Amino acid sequence: MYNNQITCSKYVSLISLMLVLGGCAATGYGPVVEDLSVPARASERLPTLPSQLPASIQVTPAPSAPVVTAKPKAYVAPKSVVTITAQPVSNQVVTVIAVPENASVATQEAPSVAQTPPLPASDQAVVEQLLTEADQLKAQGKVTEAVIQLQRAQRIAPQEPKVYARLAALQLSLGEASRAEQLALKGLTLVPNKKSYQYYFWKLIGASRSNLGDSQGEAKAIAQAAKYK
Amino acid sequence: MVIGVVGLVYLDAQIRHRFEGHRWSLPAKVYARPLELFKGQKMAAGQLDYELTQLGYRWVKHANAPGQVQKTNQGMAIYSRGFRFADGNELGVLVELSLQHNTITDLRQPSGTSVALLRLEPQLVGGIYPAHNEDRELIQLNDLPNGFIETLLAVEDRNYYSHYGISPWGIVRALWANIQAGAVVQGGSTLTQQLVKNFYLTDRQTLWRKLIEAPMALLLNVHYSKDEVLEVYLNEVFVGQAGKRAIHGFGLASRFYFGQPLSELKLHQVALLVGLVKGPSYYNPQRYPKRATKRRNLVLSILAQQNLISDAQKIQYQGLPLDLTEATKVSRYPAYMDVVRQQLQQHYQASALSSHGLRIFTSLDPWVQHQADRAMVEQVLKLNQRHGKIKGLQGALVVSHRGSGELLALVGDHNGGYAGHNWALDRSRQVGSLLKPVIHLAALETGQYSPATMINDAPVSLQQSDGTLWQPQNYDRKSHGKVPMYEALAKSYNQANVRLGMQVGVDKVLQQLKKMGVDQFIPAYPSALLGAVEMSPLQVNQVYQTIAGNGFYSPLSLVRQVTQANGQLLSHFPFAVRQAASNDATYLLQHEMRMAAHYGTAKGVYQYLPKQQQVSAKTGTTNDLKDSWFAGFSGQHVATVWLGREDAKPTPLTGAGGALHVWAQLMQHLAYTTYKDIKPQLIENYHLNVKTGKAMPNNCPNGVWLPIPKVSAPAFNKTCGY
Repeated sequence: MYNNQITCSKYVSLISLMLVLGGCAATGYGPVVEDLSVPARASERLPTLPSQLPASIQVTPAPSAPVVTAKPKAYVAPKSVVTITAQPVSNQVVTVIAVPENASVATQEAPSVAQTPPLPASDQAVVEQLLTEADQLKAQGKVTEAVIQLQRAQRIAPQEPKVYARLAALQLSLGEASRAEQLALKGLTLVPNKKSYQYYFWKLIGASRSNLGDSQGEAKAIAQAAKYK
Repeated sequence: MVIGVVGLVYLDAQIRHRFEGHRWSLPAKVYARPLELFKGQKMAAGQLDYELTQLGYRWVKHANAPGQVQKTNQGMAIYSRGFRFADGNELGVLVELSLQHNTITDLRQPSGTSVALLRLEPQLVGGIYPAHNEDRELIQLNDLPNGFIETLLAVEDRNYYSHYGISPWGIVRALWANIQAGAVVQGGSTLTQQLVKNFYLTDRQTLWRKLIEAPMALLLNVHYSKDEVLEVYLNEVFVGQAGKRAIHGFGLASRFYFGQPLSELKLHQVALLVGLVKGPSYYNPQRYPKRATKRRNLVLSILAQQNLISDAQKIQYQGLPLDLTEATKVSRYPAYMDVVRQQLQQHYQASALSSHGLRIFTSLDPWVQHQADRAMVEQVLKLNQRHGKIKGLQGALVVSHRGSGELLALVGDHNGGYAGHNWALDRSRQVGSLLKPVIHLAALETGQYSPATMINDAPVSLQQSDGTLWQPQNYDRKSHGKVPMYEALAKSYNQANVRLGMQVGVDKVLQQLKKMGVDQFIPAYPSALLGAVEMSPLQVNQVYQTIAGNGFYSPLSLVRQVTQANGQLLSHFPFAVRQAASNDATYLLQHEMRMAAHYGTAKGVYQYLPKQQQVSAKTGTTNDLKDSWFAGFSGQHVATVWLGREDAKPTPLTGAGGALHVWAQLMQHLAYTTYKDIKPQLIENYHLNVKTGKAMPNNCPNGVWLPIPKVSAPAFNKTCGY
């Protein structure tokens, strides 16, 4: 530090024992104004905590919209020093996943809508890729990651009905019937002249309402679906 | 002697305790949304260059390493860095990108294989710092670029790997060099001693400190490997100060000075970082580039002296510029970060946010935020020039994504920063005519109205609860007789809209408003119809978001995911919608608001935008011109602008004369992605003679195309006649 150099020159001229023992402070690297480099005091440090998150912080879909799901009371930090930086991975290639034409959604859906015919493929390759990735994640049991992929697709193609179909079906399979119903209702606004979608969405709305115990609403939805069969 | 031994044992325990128990407080890192690249993606002019610059990409002749970009005939080749997202890893990859008219027309690997989608790493836009304001980015030895350790040791501690923690020979050599030079040019401290000083001892130059420093360094050396000590040193070293924030460790230093990860640095950059250790303030390359260059070149000379590089290399590197990042580093997003912090604090303890290295992924769009700041600053300047300085003029701007309801940008102040109040959130003002679309929506919801329904724009006189008469007038103080509903909205006629609102019912209108996310209590007075309702710009944007979202309310959100430092997902915000109005009614309202932009009070937007860009918008002006509002949507963006004085005194600005300009300048610089006009099944377009309310042949002059529910289909006149 520069200021220290002046102080230091006194030591140099004295050639003191202190200098021999401690070395010259000229190469010290504390900040100039105040020493912020002192490690946090014990009270400020992380408590020693188990390296596993307690079960209460499991990621689950939130029951109501804008709420952060996990609410860690005592947040747990990983024990060892962690590397957070992006790891540049050179000379690696993006795996481009083959996109099946008319990828069927039927197999991933909740049982009550499983009988619907496959929905037409999106005309955007990027949407199909994300839907495929979401399917794969879901198949691996990574449901939240699958939802994240579908939301990515929704941002990129907010008027693509197939994305709403998948999101709604996934939410329904997670037991989020109310959320599924609303997503399907929104999906319906995108498909005024697409029978296969109208049928699909009404079936899904029916199933959602059934889960919600709304038998009247379910009957209405089933009647609507029948129109587009 | 005994005392000495006891002292050593004590020191030893202290050292081991500290070193092994040591963990740094890592501030939470806040990231912007990653830029998604795919075929068909529309970019604004200059956007891609801007975003790459902000990410610290370097323009080179041949991109062959992460963090590089190369101009090509068709567009550019980008070598992305890869990133660990909440949902998995995105690998670094070289892609060639074709651009035509700012649209990505092709994306492929050099082999020709097409790439459907590539996510660039997100920009780090801020941190949530602990009270002592220490910031760092942890690195490991294998993150170091070529030549880093050699340079560091050559300058700071040549015998690091062979000494015992202290180096008498180093001290003698330093002393000799200093005596020769007649000044202090070299220090005798080993890296181990430097670490001891910073890690265990206070900064005070006491004799005691001097005395125990050496034994502590020796002990540290006994207990831990050279690599372990070095790694801690690399993360602990102080290398700069940014305002209150102390920059620690070479990992963060690299981001801070070069905007790049440490692993990407070239030798001249490495030399600068190593040179900074001697005096980060004195050699501050941002403030004293000449000094810093001199210091860097000295480091390069030392490398050449020690034959670590050739003289030719030395000369080559010394000739290079400092290569500091061009991205702005001061927190550019105070208003946005403010809300992120508020939202997170509801769910996480402050200490968790400031010390556990959480990673917060937000929807902040750096380009939109940049343009929002610009639009506010530049237009406020122009307004001040046009009207003479408007005392205490303040402003706020909110931008959200139409499809998802995610907040993309927030401006909380007239100059883009803010101190004290975040005008986008903290302050509520009367919204004036911005409420009129809600009257229309409530009316259209009943199924008994259409944009062609005639409303009488005659004087209104209403008795209020306190017995006084309320007689709102039109802005031009004229009455316009019977006008179709769309015109009442487009021209923002007060009398017609109050009549419409009274027909529907004030309570119904306020219920509709509530469904759109405004949940404070609003007394059902008729004056509410003309916007005697106080809302923050954020709330207004929420209301318009629902209109833009075809009647579906999506809560404005800004945190997408939170993960632990190691990438493990902690929280995730699911996308949710809730129907707040029918799609049919909202479709009709969107059309009315489009008319406002084409023929009505909002038409000024087309001074900025091409005619084919669809805009649905509304101006808002409150009594005595206290507030100038503009809200609406175009393409994928919903935005709200408010301008007014801090002291709520009148300004010379109407909604169209003030806020509109900020809004339109912003939209002008955002990518325009068409939002498909999907007409509901039960609605048809008719070519109307608005005077008779009857449909007429398409070729008749003076007709207006209007969407009308099929159930209230107008009668058809075979002639154009009136």
